[in-house]
Amino acid sequence: MSYYDLDVILTDSEKVPCKFELEVPDLGYLDNNPSQPLKAGTSVNLPLWLAELLALTHQSSTPFLTLSLPPALGDNVLNALKADPRAVPLRDQSQNFYGLGARMLDLFEEPELGVVLRRSFVVRAGEVALHGRKAGATGDAGSAEDFMRGLEEWEKKLYRQAHEGAKGHKEWMDGVKK
Amino acid sequence: MALPLPPGLVPTEVAFLCEMEMVTIIPRQRLESISLLSGQIPTLRPPHRAQLPLWLALLLKKQRRANIVPPSWLHPASLSEIIHHEINIDPEGFSPPPPPVTRSDGRGMARPYGDSKPGDMVLSPPFLPSCAADAPSSYLPYHWLELSETLLAHASDDIHGAAEVRTLLRDLQEVRAAKMRGSTTQLEGGGGVVGLRGVGAMELAESRGFVLGVVEGVRKLGASAEATRREEEEARSEGGEESDEDMAFG
Repeated sequence: MSYYDLDVILTDSEKVPCKFELEVPDLGYLDNNPSQPLKAGTSVNLPLWLAELLALTHQSSTPFLTLSLPPALGDNVLNALKADPRAVPLRDQSQNFYGLGARMLDLFEEPELGVVLRRSFVVRAGEVALHGRKAGATGDAGSAEDFMRGLEEWEKKLYRQAHEGAKGHKEWMDGVKK
Repeated sequence: MALPLPPGLVPTEVAFLCEMEMVTIIPRQRLESISLLSGQIPTLRPPHRAQLPLWLALLLKKQRRANIVPPSWLHPASLSEIIHHEINIDPEGFSPPPPPVTRSDGRGMARPYGDSKPGDMVLSPPFLPSCAADAPSSYLPYHWLELSETLLAHASDDIHGAAEVRTLLRDLQEVRAAKMRGSTTQLEGGGGVVGLRGVGAMELAESRGFVLGVVEGVRKLGASAEATRREEEEARSEGGEESDEDMAFG
């Protein structure tokens, strides 16, 4: 996790649903109401970096807003992941699905979410490795394409690593005759 | 940050290191002893076997001045035994690495090779005869994949049943690659560690990036759960100390 890590920066700008607990003047444009103050109880989607700060900053014991889990980590997605991790195109949920999940696990006490995420990551990683090894060796990319399109950033990185390893190995095996 | 190579050795580097492995040859011509930085190369006298580093053995082989004796684990029978072990006996783990090389001390006991006096240098595989003809069969040495591929490419006429050996090696490679991919699923339950005992150098070079990536991902996902667990443990141990003190005072 580096300061310059693009994935971390992009994860920071994922939107999360928040509910304002205080009335804020001049912020009405967040709710498409430019001339009005932002009423307490309004729900808006804010980027994670802003929402996290506001949720953790207290002013006379009420935080500015309360966070809730983003729809990408909602019950629907989790149930689908519990049923079969391989069948869910995670990229459609969020480009940085696991990054977002890890940040949410920091903010919320959700042991079950952690278990589901870890299981999906490990199971899908096995599948990613299989495709990474096969890529370029055979021509049947058709069946894999759906799965590959559903990979999110961490998995794409894994795929690249698995493929690099297999490629280096294959190059050496082909060159050993010389 | 700008280092172009991934951490660890890449396959070509592993293959280069493998050329340091000792193999047994039968020379066809006399050759005087050569002093090299890595040690003395013994004098070669035709019918007597000698152990040479792989690179020199290959050079002599290409000049038709020597034949390579294939190591005993590269025999088809030994390979099929290893495959049987991988598939039927231990379908989860890899077949074990060869036992530490020992030699007799002349008093009916065995002691580790190259470790005669305490304080002596402890030798590790490139300087141990792990791929020479007297290496134990039915165990895969650390550099098995590179060495067998190189021998098959350059000295296939010296290997008994080279075609069969080639097929068996492909099978073995596939079985072990599938296990390598499967090994990361042990991390699913949490707290599991990927057991990589008996994995060869080339297999490690191939899968290093992937396995490290999975471990790193699982670590990041589990970081907060780990932090809470530690806090609980600390709280519990503090509580335990207090109760101990209470008992002491009581």
